[in-house]
Amino acid sequence: MGVDKPRTSLPLFDEGGRSYEHPLYDKLLSMPGLSVGVAPLDRLLTWGLTNSLWVFPMATSCCGIELMAAAASRVDLDRMGTFYRGTPRQGDVMVVAGTITVKMAPRVKRLWEQMPEPKWAIAMGSCAISGDFYRDLYPVVPGIDTFLPVDVYIPGCPPNPESLMAGLLELAAKIRSEQGKPLTAPVQKTGGLVATKPSIARIGDPERDPSLSDQQMEAASRAAESPVARPAEELEMPPVPETAPGTVAAPPTFAPELVELFQAHGVVDFPKDAPPVVPLARHVALARALVERGYKQLVYVVASHWLAGKGRSGNVAGGPEHHEVAYGLRTVGPKRGAEGGSKLAWWSVRVEAGGAAPTLAHVIAGADWQEREQWDLVGVRFSGHPDLRRLMMPDDWSGHPLRKDYPADAHTAPWR
Amino acid sequence: MSALLRGFVYGLLVVNAVLLTSAVNIWFERKFSARMQSRVGPTRVGPLGLLQPFADVAKLMSKEDTVPASGNRVLFTAAPLLATVCALAAAAVVPFTPDVVAADLDVGVLWVLAVGSITTIAIFMAGWASNNKFALLGGMRSIAQAVSYEVPLVLSAMVPVVLSGTMSLSGIVTWQSEHLWIAAWPLIPGLPAFVIFFLAMTAEANRIPFDIPEAESELVAGVTTEYSGMKFALFYVGEYAHTLVGSAIASALFLGGWSGPMAATMPWLGLVYMVVKTLFLFFMITWVRWSLVRFRSDQLLAICWKWLVPISVGLVLVAALWVELVPGVH
Amino acid sequence: MEVALRKIQRPDPYLDIADVEADAELMLLHLGPQHPSTHGVFRIDLYLDGEIIVKAVPFPGYLHRGVEKLCERLTFVQQTPVVDKHDYVAPMTSEQAINMAFEALLKVEVPRRARYLRSIFAEMQRIASHLLWLGTFTLDLGGAMGGGTTLFMHCFRERETILDLFEEVTGARFHYNTHTIGGNRHDLTAGWAAKVKSAMDLIESRLSEYVSMSYENRIFRQRTSGVGVLDGALALELGVSGPILRASGVDHDLRRDAPFHAYDEVEVKVATATEGDCLARTKVRVEELRESIRLVRLFLDGLPEGPINGGKPIKLAGQYKVNTGQVYVGIETPRGELGTYVIAGGEGGASPYRLKFRAPSLHALSTLPYVLPGATLSDCVAILGSLDPIMGEVDR
Repeated sequence: MGVDKPRTSLPLFDEGGRSYEHPLYDKLLSMPGLSVGVAPLDRLLTWGLTNSLWVFPMATSCCGIELMAAAASRVDLDRMGTFYRGTPRQGDVMVVAGTITVKMAPRVKRLWEQMPEPKWAIAMGSCAISGDFYRDLYPVVPGIDTFLPVDVYIPGCPPNPESLMAGLLELAAKIRSEQGKPLTAPVQKTGGLVATKPSIARIGDPERDPSLSDQQMEAASRAAESPVARPAEELEMPPVPETAPGTVAAPPTFAPELVELFQAHGVVDFPKDAPPVVPLARHVALARALVERGYKQLVYVVASHWLAGKGRSGNVAGGPEHHEVAYGLRTVGPKRGAEGGSKLAWWSVRVEAGGAAPTLAHVIAGADWQEREQWDLVGVRFSGHPDLRRLMMPDDWSGHPLRKDYPADAHTAPWR
Repeated sequence: MSALLRGFVYGLLVVNAVLLTSAVNIWFERKFSARMQSRVGPTRVGPLGLLQPFADVAKLMSKEDTVPASGNRVLFTAAPLLATVCALAAAAVVPFTPDVVAADLDVGVLWVLAVGSITTIAIFMAGWASNNKFALLGGMRSIAQAVSYEVPLVLSAMVPVVLSGTMSLSGIVTWQSEHLWIAAWPLIPGLPAFVIFFLAMTAEANRIPFDIPEAESELVAGVTTEYSGMKFALFYVGEYAHTLVGSAIASALFLGGWSGPMAATMPWLGLVYMVVKTLFLFFMITWVRWSLVRFRSDQLLAICWKWLVPISVGLVLVAALWVELVPGVH
Repeated sequence: MEVALRKIQRPDPYLDIADVEADAELMLLHLGPQHPSTHGVFRIDLYLDGEIIVKAVPFPGYLHRGVEKLCERLTFVQQTPVVDKHDYVAPMTSEQAINMAFEALLKVEVPRRARYLRSIFAEMQRIASHLLWLGTFTLDLGGAMGGGTTLFMHCFRERETILDLFEEVTGARFHYNTHTIGGNRHDLTAGWAAKVKSAMDLIESRLSEYVSMSYENRIFRQRTSGVGVLDGALALELGVSGPILRASGVDHDLRRDAPFHAYDEVEVKVATATEGDCLARTKVRVEELRESIRLVRLFLDGLPEGPINGGKPIKLAGQYKVNTGQVYVGIETPRGELGTYVIAGGEGGASPYRLKFRAPSLHALSTLPYVLPGATLSDCVAILGSLDPIMGEVDR
């Protein structure tokens, strides 16, 4: 049944704005005399819809836990006939609970399209509504209403389970208010991830709701300019108190035999507040020697990016653009009295721009993922790595977000 | 003509009774599981939330009827119908009282087992026609499970058949009203056969701990992953109808069906006995379902082939010997 | 064949699927990013031979929110509410981890009462987190429409009592923002300790019920015993920590081996198991529940009087400044060693130049390519659940 043809039945639309045939409506409406039954039927179906809102949980983060808590004993969404179905085909309401990232958004969109009409969307929590404090960051979608038609917003970080229930009741009221009215096509059109204007104006957005005062606008744009709301320099600060050592977590201390080992691997300087720098050529051999001495647990691999002229404060001068990659390994063993316990050995290597650090993945298997993450985010290359793919960002992402020359709010289209 | 009319009326009654009871059972299960979990369950629709299943059906009726673009439309549509029809068709031979039985077939037991196993084909059809990997895995699991559990199901159902010497369900119930419940006497083939039949029937109806074709946490929604609207409702109701009819058949085969004190003189009491026994078995299944986690598919098959099949073969043998050696069985 | 496959000590995570494809017709199944059992948004590509996994390729990053970039723009005192959202099942310990790193960098002393409060909060958070884990794990084993849900609901009921107690002190159900550099922001309310003790009694009395529904149940044991075996040496190499490492036979707990908070004043009993399978992980976590209940009581009894903050009494964005130094501080959270690596010298010295979180869940997930091959699809769900990954922490 085409849209052009005049029809007596209620037009139902799918996501793309195409009308679809509903077996029951269309059959009934085509029968003479039965159209008088439409109003009671509509009432019956609305009664069913409002009392049996099955949730398709699009739970990504913190709000997902409250979504679970809402189904649990204290709040018990089952009281109002709501329970969660794992497949989009059987959901009526998509509750987007949590931050939606650029990597996840196409999947959310697709799951939404897989849900059968009539369907509704609830944005639960400030991340789904607006992106929360991640909104200006590179991987986060600033609110799901940039790509989904949202019916109910539930504010909170995270909203209490009770708020979710209130939101569902609000949705039921909305469905009831639409009873008897012809259904209209959703705002969203086809074409995949085409961004629409968010229904909530962004802070500092020139198209922001003009009902806000000029002062508010000014404050908002000032906040948008300087990420650190109040620069430290402007504040009158009391001096930092000198505190007694002892209760403060101490940096790793190097046992004498470890100092010898590090010296044997070309380390000359042991700074008090930073890891010693190991020459790139001796780095793998040092790691191997440490593993043999019981430092078997991989703790971290941390890369940092330094632009030209900047440098690790303390022991190494700035110089050209470079990366510094810090490694930590731990011993394990039960502590008995003063004996035993876990000791941390840390060191770092300096990788010049365009260079690469030799991988540790062949020495200690856990370095595989850690180095992948650092390559992905900081852009430091690891030579000889068995599987150097991106870990966090989508495969087609360009750039390495934690580099210092990468703008924090560099959103990719279509999100900005 | 009168036989035809009688069959039609009984059929209508049975179908409606089974569907209505299934709906009430859905409500019961939601309330019961809620109480087990220190919740209250549906409260807002109708008294005590009794109308909740009807609201669900009304909702599902108004949902868009999606068919996967690359799926097989005919099989996709036929599968839920077949699943529900098979569950209901088995109810045709269930004797509710000595007189109320839609079709008193001479081979009633055979009919029940044969029709019941077609459900498996329906489930596999659904899994295959969905063109969805989760659904396909669910369908494959369903076949593996049915092929295994049909064997102990048939063998344990043979115990009452051998003992009573008839394949008619009414005949078996009548035999039990003259002797004792088969689950109680003779104890050795009777009680274990009842337990095995009950387990295999739970597995056939895909209830936890045997629900591997649906397995929400692994296969999203198993074979019903792609189903929406009324097609899903048919599967949903079909599952409950299957469980319910299975419980009715188990109570007819092993718990004496309508037989009980005073049932011979007051036929309506027989109906009460039958309903109570059936609902008790359904309650047991529900209780088990909300208490246990599910088996893995290989463990499920191991239980069947290593334990249930050998034991049920032995039980049929014992039943045959009992008939031969004990006088006055037939 | 299945048993033989399980015996493989260390499957090759870099297996070229083309080599296997020639012999068997494999099915590629994308588990996730939206799947009931992936505990958030996480994807594993499974190459299945029937139901047996030949190769597993995990894809995290669906919740990567760029927090480390955000932290470079925020000053030291502004970071606490951000890290709440990392390990959203245990925000208390997330807050503690980052604030302890800043304290080490800024050389701020924490008063004894604050350290006791932190210990109490950490242990209560561990109880809440392990309860949630036990519930969701049985949910993975038993499905959303069955026995798994029952234990899940019961665990959530108990977890709510702890959240209520936290709410009474901090005003929030789970993004508390109660820790700050140098101590805590909220002191206990009157009568709180007594309520905690009665809550602990309640949870302890119900633990045996949960045990009977979980690992004393025969089906539960069958589903978890011998499934997902991770040997201790591999676990160490992959940087796995916490209950998963202890279930693999490595006796390692930072609370005892590198004490922080007030753990040096008590004796922490560390639960270990040697099997390294899902069952062992369950047992270790349940033992930790018991131990945490004991520790909460111990800390409450020994709670000293005094100030709760050793830093400055006011809170200003640019309150603390430091331009040199790097620190790493790791603490034992419910999921293992959560560490914060801070390089000083950001914007005007008031914010870190680079901040990296060492997330225990990321290390736990990196075991999947080693553990999954040879398991079935059902096992995959059990194994993933037993690792207790929190995606907010994995992807950050």
